[in-house]
Amino acid sequence: MLGWLDDRLGTASWARTGLRKIFPDHWSFLLGELALFCLVILVATGVYLTLFYVPDSREVVYAGPWRPLQGQDVSAAFNSVMRLSFEVRGGLVMRQVHHWAALVFLAAITVHVMRIFFTGAFRKPREINWLVGIGLLTMALAMGITGYSLPDDLISGTGLRIIYSVVISIPFIGPYLAFLVFGGEFPTTEIVSRLFVFHIMLLPALLIGGVLTHLTILWVQKHTQFRGPGKTEENVVGKPFWPSQVFKSTGLMILTAAVLALMGGLIQINPVWSYGPFDATTVSAPAQPDWYVGWLEGSLRIFPPAEFTLLGVTVPSTFIPGILIPGALFTTLALWPFLEEWITGRHTEQSLLDPPREHPVRTGLGVAGILVFVVFTIEGGNDVVALVLGIPVETVTNILRVAIFVVPIAGYFITHWICLELQGRHGPLVPRGPGMQLRRNAQGGFDEVEEP
Amino acid sequence: MRWLRLLAMALFVSAAALAVVPSVVAVPADRVTASPPIPAASAAGDLVSSGRALYLTHCQTCHGAEAEGSGIGPSLHGVGAAAADFMLRTGRMPFSGATNSQPVRKPPAFDEQAIRALVAYVASLGNGPAIPSPTVDQNLVSKGQRLFVENCAPCHGVTGKGGAVGGGWLAPPLDKATPVQVDEAMIIGPGQMPFFSDLSDAQRNAVVSYVSYLQGAPTPGGFSIGGIGPVPEGYAAWLVGLVLLLIITLLVARDWKPN
Amino acid sequence: MTAARWLTFFLLVSTGASLALVAIYLLNGGPQLEGIFLALALGGFGAALIIWVGWLINAPTESEPRHSLASSPEARERFMETLDPELISRRRFLVRVAAGAATALGLALVLPAFSLGPLPGQDLFKTAWRRGLRVVDTEGKPIRPEDLPLDSVRTVFPQGFVGRPDSQTLLIKVRPTDLRLENGRDNWAPGGAIGYSKVCTHAGCPVGLYRAQQHQLLCPCHQSTFDVLTGATVVFGPASRPLPQLPMEVDSDGYLVALGDFPEPVGPGFWDMTHEQPSEGA
Repeated sequence: MLGWLDDRLGTASWARTGLRKIFPDHWSFLLGELALFCLVILVATGVYLTLFYVPDSREVVYAGPWRPLQGQDVSAAFNSVMRLSFEVRGGLVMRQVHHWAALVFLAAITVHVMRIFFTGAFRKPREINWLVGIGLLTMALAMGITGYSLPDDLISGTGLRIIYSVVISIPFIGPYLAFLVFGGEFPTTEIVSRLFVFHIMLLPALLIGGVLTHLTILWVQKHTQFRGPGKTEENVVGKPFWPSQVFKSTGLMILTAAVLALMGGLIQINPVWSYGPFDATTVSAPAQPDWYVGWLEGSLRIFPPAEFTLLGVTVPSTFIPGILIPGALFTTLALWPFLEEWITGRHTEQSLLDPPREHPVRTGLGVAGILVFVVFTIEGGNDVVALVLGIPVETVTNILRVAIFVVPIAGYFITHWICLELQGRHGPLVPRGPGMQLRRNAQGGFDEVEEP
Repeated sequence: MRWLRLLAMALFVSAAALAVVPSVVAVPADRVTASPPIPAASAAGDLVSSGRALYLTHCQTCHGAEAEGSGIGPSLHGVGAAAADFMLRTGRMPFSGATNSQPVRKPPAFDEQAIRALVAYVASLGNGPAIPSPTVDQNLVSKGQRLFVENCAPCHGVTGKGGAVGGGWLAPPLDKATPVQVDEAMIIGPGQMPFFSDLSDAQRNAVVSYVSYLQGAPTPGGFSIGGIGPVPEGYAAWLVGLVLLLIITLLVARDWKPN
Repeated sequence: MTAARWLTFFLLVSTGASLALVAIYLLNGGPQLEGIFLALALGGFGAALIIWVGWLINAPTESEPRHSLASSPEARERFMETLDPELISRRRFLVRVAAGAATALGLALVLPAFSLGPLPGQDLFKTAWRRGLRVVDTEGKPIRPEDLPLDSVRTVFPQGFVGRPDSQTLLIKVRPTDLRLENGRDNWAPGGAIGYSKVCTHAGCPVGLYRAQQHQLLCPCHQSTFDVLTGATVVFGPASRPLPQLPMEVDSDGYLVALGDFPEPVGPGFWDMTHEQPSEGA
């Protein structure tokens, strides 16, 4: 059979290099693969869901087995999700695996980005792949939001209302843009089917194309590696693609599917039958989006009233927390490799990773950035915090309004200090600049001196 | 002379109670969830006066010697048997929290006889709403869901798990509320809850039926992890999903047989 | 136990679970059983693969050289020779004209996108409320102020527009003497029945919560809090404007009717909301 392929594609020659390619085998290098496997499971379960979902806002009368909604007017979209959950064998487990995979997908991306950031794996020549990666993160967020809005239930519909209002808040073009995207004044009958197109066609095309680009660049540039015996800037030490990496990755993918299958069967997620169909004149509490949008929700909740009018142009209260702050955060994240190159003045290629403690400023800023998102996310669930802790929700917000400044700044300084402490304890460092070496000083620490 | 005045008052209160109490507690036999029948009218007067006695011992500090209210507790005139029954059976009264904090559900402090006596006494203080007799009807669950979403879900949550309503107040979860208590709450608007007394009997029965359904509702997807939506789901994704996956990743990358 | 035994064990677990799944499917076992056995089937197979490669095969660690990706200066020169940008860049005028035409073409190709939705027009400035329309509940029944219990809250609509989202209005019954409104707006609240737009002025969620004792409305999305007695002014949260008040009076039959549309645009802000709009009679 391999001869048959070789006759036609010449595989034996070019595929051999691929089979022998070396992959470093640190566990943290598998985090990106976790995200990739979640995506594979999302596509597989997603295709199944697409065969049952009806992207239509037209009203039908619910006649299925869930008593609290019997006889009520619901959209055909909501009805199809109810049917899939209760009247299609295996439907509910597929839906739940799909949704758990989405939540875990974004969690895996988050830890993967953190690993790349804190080990400096984005440095030259990998800045392009960092940009592709942040693009993938943004598209994953968009996939999540469009996806959970498809069932047209009360909670996700309320989220769409907020998104519509944030788009409207953009000066000059807001109302036009919102009316274009939604097809009119909220709520419209077009939005569900448009979100469907984005969720199953446009965004997956960009996402899969992006993932292939991401992996190709990784393949061509070769993986980074941690410092260690026998490892230099000029080699890659690890195990070969075949059989080690193929078996390991395939095994990890199947085990990821196992974990998601277990969650999909045992833990209820997004019970849209409890929420009921979306109605723009009703609302439930607590009202939250999925966890990965929680920070945006928190940004909207934490911000004090900030509407003002300048020369007749009103800047509504949702513009700064809903557009400017997220824009600033993600732009900083995307441009980070270039920012760092500009600040440190370092433009050399680097494929050996440094432990985070050797870059206290970057590590400190990274921790501070994470803490910003954490505080925002907590505020996004402030009514749940108030309910669980039994304190007024206003107190939660007021405390976090202070914390959003204090906690990241404190986090930076504490992290910086910890890095320096760990440096002192872990002995010989790699000198920071080219042409420098380390010399022990009288106090037992190290000084960077120029090479003689 | 004081004892004569007291006797006159007791006789007057008993007479008023004779008029009010039977209409409050008379129960047609075909209702599904009725309060148990109260003793015969001749004993009704005793009920009000024993209620009054209990009141003076346990309630007058906050509600005043004549139930006219004070700085701490509101007047009970005209609040009706429904209010007293609700507060006493859910244990919210007697109040035992910090000043100005929200009364919360706790085991009732009084036994059945004492509650009936106190309710009878409060009912005698004016024309307030009687204890309702709601019907739980499976056919009304859907209508009740619609009414619940429109009126109750913003505070109590569409799954009835309760919620923070700001200002330090909580709309309580509805898992322990009996049909009578749900009905009473709609009628008397306890605490920060608005009044829904203008809903028809059919509408209130529908809401009661839905709440009753919620209390036994199945969770077909598995563990419901709180039933309050995406926040616990996010925690589960990280603390169960990602943690399991990280453990597996560490095991996968491990050198099982270093050579 | 040896690697081969572990492998066999896991593969047997996986096979058994896969077969059990067939039975579970045929018997409609439900999501819990489906999930558990799917997890066992997948988990057994995945564990087997890991043991196979990590324990049984156990390939040795190797090293391969890493080359700098940058091409040699000669290779770069040869590339530039082949590309020969001078072919195009020499004709500066033509390049500029072409760039202009390309831009125009690009803009023209975007035009169909504008068919995706209508122009906002007056939609954000107006609701369905008009002078003379009765205030009705969700079942379409008109309302008399005296029929409302004190401290009750209802969602109401203009007659004929029940359920229309931009027109959703909260009708709250308070004691008229408790109201502290400005500009004579207590005349808009006959019998203590006061109406406010239910669309939150922050991000548009329905303002569904009412703290009756404190007469404060709370929006569940971002906790904007509005004081009913002072014209739904904001007392907490990110909303910057009070909820617009519906002007109402009582008609000859005693039912509540609107005196006109809300005096301000309802819902979240937008850039030209303070601009004068052509009036067409309230």
